[in-house]
Amino acid sequence: MSPELESDTVADPNYDDEFDAIVVGAGLAGSAAALTMANRGLDVLLIERGSSPGAKNVFGGVLYTPTIRELTDFDDAPVERYVAERRFSMLSKDDETAVSLRPGEWHEKPHNDSYTVLRGDFDEWFAEQAAEEGATLLNSTTVTGLIREDGRIAGVETDRPDGTIRAPYVVLAEGGNSLVSEGANLKQTETRENVAVGVKEVLEFPQRDEVIEDRFRLTDEAGVSYHYFGEGAVGDAFGGGFIYTNEDTVSIGVAYRIEDAAAHDQSPEETLNAFKSHPAVAPLVRNARTVEYSAKTIPEGGAESIPDLVHDGAAIVGDAAGLVLNNGVHLEGTNMAVESGYHAGNAIARAADKGRVGADALQAYPESLEESFVVKNLEHYQWMMNAVEEDRDLLFEDLPRAFADAGTEYFRMDRQPKESHAKNAKSAVLSAVGGWTGAAKLALRYRKVVT
Amino acid sequence: MSVQPQTPDLDNDSMEDRLYTVKYEDPGDSHLDVKVEDVCMQCETNDCVRVCPANVWREGDDGVPHIAYENCLECSSCRFACEYDNVVWTYPERGAGMTFKHG
Ligand SMILES: Cc1cc2nc3c(=O)[nH]c(=O)nc-3n(C[C@H](O)[C@H](O)[C@H](O)COP(=O)(O)OP(=O)(O)OC[C@H]3O[C@@H](n4cnc5c(N)ncnc54)[C@H](O)[C@@H]3O)c2cc1C
Ligand code: SF4
Ligand code: SF4
Repeated sequence: MSPELESDTVADPNYDDEFDAIVVGAGLAGSAAALTMANRGLDVLLIERGSSPGAKNVFGGVLYTPTIRELTDFDDAPVERYVAERRFSMLSKDDETAVSLRPGEWHEKPHNDSYTVLRGDFDEWFAEQAAEEGATLLNSTTVTGLIREDGRIAGVETDRPDGTIRAPYVVLAEGGNSLVSEGANLKQTETRENVAVGVKEVLEFPQRDEVIEDRFRLTDEAGVSYHYFGEGAVGDAFGGGFIYTNEDTVSIGVAYRIEDAAAHDQSPEETLNAFKSHPAVAPLVRNARTVEYSAKTIPEGGAESIPDLVHDGAAIVGDAAGLVLNNGVHLEGTNMAVESGYHAGNAIARAADKGRVGADALQAYPESLEESFVVKNLEHYQWMMNAVEEDRDLLFEDLPRAFADAGTEYFRMDRQPKESHAKNAKSAVLSAVGGWTGAAKLALRYRKVVT
Repeated sequence: MSVQPQTPDLDNDSMEDRLYTVKYEDPGDSHLDVKVEDVCMQCETNDCVRVCPANVWREGDDGVPHIAYENCLECSSCRFACEYDNVVWTYPERGAGMTFKHG
């Protein structure tokens, strides 16, 4: 049985050799590349396997907008809320110790370039911006492989009736499940230590209006981004939990390494349930109704996992190129996807001007990415991933517990002098980190978080 | 220390109800499979079963997992999880499979 789709009912046009460039995947990276190339006069075909862009996509999520705002008029973008508070929370089994930031400045435009969005709406809108610049969007079409001619990549195979579509340039923007790039040997399959499984629910509060505003202390379009780590979030796995507020819904989820998911008896769904029932989390999401359950993987190998970004006739962008920063404090891929799509699009437009298709003609893309925040941030935090891995028991289990104990001691209300409380608090933390020497070593190891 | 704090009870949806929130169009046949059944029979970890967030992979009597492909959220975790690279993973054709409304 073949599904009935709109595109089958009209005469299927033949796209072979009609375009200057083909983009595989209308996610953030793909639409950014298509928009950039269309802007510079190229005929672009943007291919998406979902029935519309975003139909098969999901993320946390907060969209970081420094680049996208430069590429298009962002004023009527379908954003949910701007992020007015970021909260980082350590959860032990029963306790929470949190740091919260609510700078006044985030209430002012451009709101620190951080907005909650839902990908169904947002990806569709962003692809439309590329289409308005002249790109052709082809939905419900899966790219199944690449065509090579004379040793270079010369187009794509698809699951359409006239499957083969040739074009001088192909941009691979297929996300972390990069079957096409891997199938063409442009990159290796990531190991499961470097990929996280993310599960998420979108929750609605049918019983009462303004629940989100009240529970999260919000007015108007302000929203929150809460990150959780430690035992109470994802057990002893490497990863964390998140809560983001949308306009009328809340996104809640967990993401942790597949390596750890495989080692655990608890399934990702059960991990999500456990996180939701933590005493510090449950009150935020009680009496909610699940309006969507979803899952997706996150590539998190960091700088060491970036494949060769350009090939003869092709470039790899966004999650397909492993461009995600996920280290506990940061979970950022949207900004890197857009930035990489933009640089790749520019490099291809420049090469097309000169009529050249070789990888050397596309070098401007890796070069500008190297100079951008993308590679700089990924390289800067590579050490952190490795250090956190080494210290995971301490960071995810012992410290959250020690901080909770220290806090409890420090503020203990009894008839002892406060000085003795402070002393107990100090010793709770010191014993977790291995005394003053241990603390000094840790401080030295993690000093780069703030430098 | 750790006392048991007051925690409201949550009514989490069952897996069935959760998956019911996702629109689905049956492509007709499975986009997932195993490459070599013997490899699964030898495999003792069944990591495909453990990591799947949608209860697609289930332990089979003969040691070869049963695949309820209609549940699949197309997240790709099983593909990365199998240490024997024994998962056949393709996309459902022409936009079929699951569709998220929110994402
Ligand atoms: C659970 C989770 C939470 C996250 N939270 C955040 C967050 O809060 N903030 C943040 O900045 N980042 C977050 N990220 C990361 C962020 O979502 C990604 O970095 C970003 O979406 C990457 O964009 P992309 O365009 O490269 O890939 P994707 O967004 O994955 O887009 C790929 C597109 O290509 C399509 N496609 C794939 N293969 C084919 C094919 N063969 N043929 C045709 N079309 C195809 C897909 O359907 C999809 O539309 C999160 C990720 C996950 C999974
Ligand atoms: S698919 Fe892989 S993990 Fe699953 S049973 Fe077979 S060999 Fe084991
Ligand atoms: S892709 Fe995800 S949801 Fe589908 S079978 Fe694999 S692990 Fe399960």
